[in-house]
Amino acid sequence: MMLRLVVSFSVALSLLLASPVSAAEVTVLELVADGSRYSDVEVTVTGELIGDYGNRRDGFTWTQLNGDSYTRAPVADGGELVGANVGIGIRVDTELAEGLDPPGRYRTVGPIVVVTGIWKYHDPARQGETYLDVTAIETVVSGRVLHEPPLWWAFAVGLALMAVSGGLWLRYTRRRDAVG
Amino acid sequence: MLIRPAADDFRTIAAALGRILLVVAGAALFPMAWALLGAEWHPLGSFVLMAGVFAIVGVVLVSVSLQPSRSISADQQHLDWSHGMVVVALTWIVVPLIGSIPLLLSGHYANPLDANFDAMSGLTTTGLALVQDLDHLASSLNFWRHLLHFLGGQGIIIAALVLFAGRGVTTLFAGEGRDDRMLPSVQSTAKAIWAVSLLHLTFGLITLTIVAYAALGFSPARSVFHGLMIFFAAFDTGGFAPQSTSLGYYHSALFEGVTAVLMVAGALSFGLHFRLWNRDARRRRAGIGAQSGGRDDANWWPILRSLEVRSILTTFGITMVLTFFGLAGLGIYTSVSGLSRQGFFQILSAHTGTGFATVPSQELALWGGLAFGGMAIAMALGGMASSTAGGVKAMRVGIVSRAIMDDVKGDLLPEGALVDDSYYQFGRHRLTSEVARSAMIVSLLFVGLFLLGAGVGLAYGVPLQPALFESVSAGASVGLSVGVTSPTMPVVLKITYMAEMLLGRLEFIAVFVLIGFIYSWVRGR
Repeated sequence: MMLRLVVSFSVALSLLLASPVSAAEVTVLELVADGSRYSDVEVTVTGELIGDYGNRRDGFTWTQLNGDSYTRAPVADGGELVGANVGIGIRVDTELAEGLDPPGRYRTVGPIVVVTGIWKYHDPARQGETYLDVTAIETVVSGRVLHEPPLWWAFAVGLALMAVSGGLWLRYTRRRDAVG
Repeated sequence: MLIRPAADDFRTIAAALGRILLVVAGAALFPMAWALLGAEWHPLGSFVLMAGVFAIVGVVLVSVSLQPSRSISADQQHLDWSHGMVVVALTWIVVPLIGSIPLLLSGHYANPLDANFDAMSGLTTTGLALVQDLDHLASSLNFWRHLLHFLGGQGIIIAALVLFAGRGVTTLFAGEGRDDRMLPSVQSTAKAIWAVSLLHLTFGLITLTIVAYAALGFSPARSVFHGLMIFFAAFDTGGFAPQSTSLGYYHSALFEGVTAVLMVAGALSFGLHFRLWNRDARRRRAGIGAQSGGRDDANWWPILRSLEVRSILTTFGITMVLTFFGLAGLGIYTSVSGLSRQGFFQILSAHTGTGFATVPSQELALWGGLAFGGMAIAMALGGMASSTAGGVKAMRVGIVSRAIMDDVKGDLLPEGALVDDSYYQFGRHRLTSEVARSAMIVSLLFVGLFLLGAGVGLAYGVPLQPALFESVSAGASVGLSVGVTSPTMPVVLKITYMAEMLLGRLEFIAVFVLIGFIYSWVRGR
């Protein structure tokens, strides 16, 4: 009897201790494609933070987590075109979000993070919104700034065309005035 | 016998088209300035190139219209009905072609067709998109995509009318699918439309920016950016969004609410806007508001009893009920509040022809049965005539319904009894068989367009429901997608959707006249 109690207690304790790492590891695409399957389930997702950090008065920060191949190589960094972005909204306690690198945008690759949280699918508390309620966030790759060289040839050709257009317009107005 | 167009016809068309392209070249200065201020040098080069191409094509067209031997220049000639229609159709083909240059050079599009698809979608205020990695797109390019909504929604031709007064402009006005001449002259009407638009721009931008800053916690600069982009897309019932998750990005009922108001404003006819404004101005002048404590409900009666308003309120109510019952049956939402907010926003987006979504396309694809029916019908019916919305339009729906009801009434009444064949639309109008026939023809053309697009989708193996949904979305200038529209879809399907966008936005006639013009040029004598 005593042995059974000790074993039960040990199993319960190990399950309790193991729970943070036992969150199902899923991809952003899996959450988007089959959201109902993970409803109210704790999941771990990896992706790039994108767009804005909306720091709201209720103490939460909202942002987007993308899980497509552009997180590794955006178009501006020579990344291959593989379709549209795949992203989900995430809600993080503002204290947890402090110190994160700027989110991904044009010429900025956001931090790649591993987030753990509860997948809120059509959350009744937020009138049917779907998002990941994050409980833990860890940066695995820092954000970085990209450089995109100017399109000098387009600039030069465009200016030349505008100059020619101006000349032609002047010639046109003179001829029009002459015609009466 | 077909008469081949003469050189003078081409000169007249070239003169008008050239001037419109010069106006668009001027509009290209805005994204150039944006890129310059944001130090976005790569897009800046592409905007300079685009402005240069618009300018050179415009000037060359205007120049060829002038012949030294002629006593008058072509632009002083009368622009007749067919010229005007050809000019409008060509404008809506040429502007996306040149306007897609910066999109293509951004590297976010697989090929020129995809870039042209998005430019056409932007200009026709559809909102279907083939852009890839949107979330890393330059803000100036995002601005250009949304500005295309504004140019298309408010009417490039309207802008040109304000700047270049000339003879024959009425036909240009009508060619863009506008028939609401609120003031005696087309120019003054065009100015009024732009005044209405700029006032909404001020109100919408300020409100959205405040909400984004105060409620969403965005930085001031990003609040202005999001406010401006969403205003363009909402008021012009376009549907592009600066982030890949569309309106779902904001996770805010308040932001959705303000956007919804702008979507409704965009789907109202400019004639109704004008009446509402004039009514308020008259009330202020007469001091009615002061005497009655700001309430004078009786003045709403002419608006509420007008055929168009009653028609759109009825169809919106019916499609909303259908969608709500459908969603409840599917059990997708577990709470009434969730079903109401998500269902209401999606159906409003569909009926106004905006195309914003707060749910991903993968989820929208699961909306089958009644929910699908409600959404598809709402998209097909669209907003009011002379608004930025597409689709069959409420006025035609009202007229066709009324004509059918009158016919049924006539059959039921005793022989010789008279049926009241008038309807109220800010004054009593007779519902002649010609009016009913015209409304019926355009409605049937829309149905044919939707079925044709769906047929092409089916031919490429797309299941019936998504094929129909996407076709209606393209033809009615909506932009909601269940995932069919993607960079990997067949080229023919892309071209089909582009043709649907153009035909639906111009309500067929201008494109048909262009085809007839080309045909008579080739086969005429």
